[in-house]
Amino acid sequence: MLKVEGLTVRSGDVELVHDVSFDIAPGERVGLIGESGSGKSLTALSLMGLLPEGVTATGRAALDGPDGGGDDLVGVPESRLKRLRGRDVSMVFQEPMTALNPLMRIGAQVAEIMTLHGTPRPQARRRALDLLDRVRLPEPAQIARAYPHQLSGGQRQRVMLAIALANEPRLLICDEPTTALDVTVQKQMLELIAEVAPALLFITHDLAVVASVCERVLVMYGGRVVESGPIREVFTRPRHRYTEGLLAASKLTPRGTRLPTIKGSVPAAGRFPGGCVFRNRCPHATPTCEDVPALTGDGHAHACWHPAD
Amino acid sequence: MPTHAGTPQTEEPAEALIEAEHVSRVYHRPRTSLTKPGAAVRALDDVSLTVRRGERYGIVGESGSGKSTLLRLLCALDQPTSGSIRFDGQEITGRPERRLRFLRENLQIVFQDPMSSLDPRMRVRDLVAEPLVGLGLPAGDRVAELLDAVGLPASAADRYPHQFSGGQRQRIAIARALAPRPKVLVADEPVSALDVSVRGQILNLLADLVDELGLTLVFVSHDLSVVRHVCETVAVMSRGEIVESGPVDEIWAAPAHPYTRTLLRAVPTLKGLL
Repeated sequence: MLKVEGLTVRSGDVELVHDVSFDIAPGERVGLIGESGSGKSLTALSLMGLLPEGVTATGRAALDGPDGGGDDLVGVPESRLKRLRGRDVSMVFQEPMTALNPLMRIGAQVAEIMTLHGTPRPQARRRALDLLDRVRLPEPAQIARAYPHQLSGGQRQRVMLAIALANEPRLLICDEPTTALDVTVQKQMLELIAEVAPALLFITHDLAVVASVCERVLVMYGGRVVESGPIREVFTRPRHRYTEGLLAASKLTPRGTRLPTIKGSVPAAGRFPGGCVFRNRCPHATPTCEDVPALTGDGHAHACWHPAD
Repeated sequence: MPTHAGTPQTEEPAEALIEAEHVSRVYHRPRTSLTKPGAAVRALDDVSLTVRRGERYGIVGESGSGKSTLLRLLCALDQPTSGSIRFDGQEITGRPERRLRFLRENLQIVFQDPMSSLDPRMRVRDLVAEPLVGLGLPAGDRVAELLDAVGLPASAADRYPHQFSGGQRQRIAIARALAPRPKVLVADEPVSALDVSVRGQILNLLADLVDELGLTLVFVSHDLSVVRHVCETVAVMSRGEIVESGPVDEIWAAPAHPYTRTLLRAVPTLKGLL
């Protein structure tokens, strides 16, 4: 479905994402996890052709068509991307308040994405109501007439999902879609996303969230994929020391005990050490780590000189 | 309100430090008609709680539950519509700011987002010393001492907030809050904006400081599992009311109120999923 090869994102001389490769099969739900500053959002934005000015992506990302034809997503002109974005690939962003137009009624915003891609207006209006119903918003007709500020955060995020699904995309990208939501609302939203997504790239920093939605996971740090594999395997038998640290830090031990932490903090872009990007925070680092470890292994792969076993 | 009996106590419970009794706060929506007043919103409805000296008290709830309103009232940043709040035996409601000095000296707050709670144009030295200046207390070597206590190098004093990561900025906010040697530290979602690897560092730091300085901690969070790690007592809020309160371990093991059960079930945990 989606095949990404050697994706590299640069801003001037600084490499923000380095040689990222992964596949997503039809119907597969893949998680992309990592802390802020690890390059996960840039990876997603480069697939959407939405990188900020001055930031460029190289490499290959191909989206398979239903009829065997493929569409490139990286390094193609905006005129081509414009036809794909919102139709074949769509994205749900973290902040539903800033992603929606405050001056447009909900129904019109859902319909707009369809008319932009050639659906006649009356048909788009009708379908907008179906979509609002599909994301389980109560009283779709009433919601369609409302403005974004009249809805709660969870409702707004459902509207974003309706917009993303409007043109039956082949790939849905969700960037921290539930971070701004309450836990009870988050649960419903995650169930909905898992149910409706055609093929999913799900970005989050929350390990438990990714485990509840995805089947496979890519762990990013310092702009590189440091570990990848089936969720259950990666989370129960992490190999890379960063994944191991993240998992340990996610577990909240009982009161009175020390929480396990990863020492230091994520360096700023361009300040990661050479060789293994994690070595300045890694308790197992040795001089060997000054060389770049390759991502190796079938299925469950890791890029670490001293993997956990 | 279901309450838990609590663990049998062998010693006398510590004296009450913060006591809120039947506190309500009603906001008025802007009017939408010329003839009728705006609708009233009961943000807090008859809430009572007692925080004892040295206690770690957690307040849990989702957005709109009233936890932020309650926090603002406990810190005298807002006035209740009715009810009384006492701090160390003294009533803090209805007082003008100039008569709240004892509270400002003894209760300090750490906010959720260290990017917006620290003035970007002030150096760390001035940020940390500001509460002292405001209270007319001498700063002296206090800044260096505080930076050391929160695990920041002394050189941090000459830099600006944007030069620090989220976790380091939260350390600065904690140093600032501790400057006037308060008895009570109020933390409003202090780790919600932080990455998981840094969250542990800040929670460990808070636990150490509370122990070393004998602080009373009021810890507000949407995440019951974080509260369970930090606090011994918890109040669960929903729709402006405390629906359940008691020892956190008991509520965690056997939530009595349906809302608490919903909240617990909704939190995704790795253990349950793998």
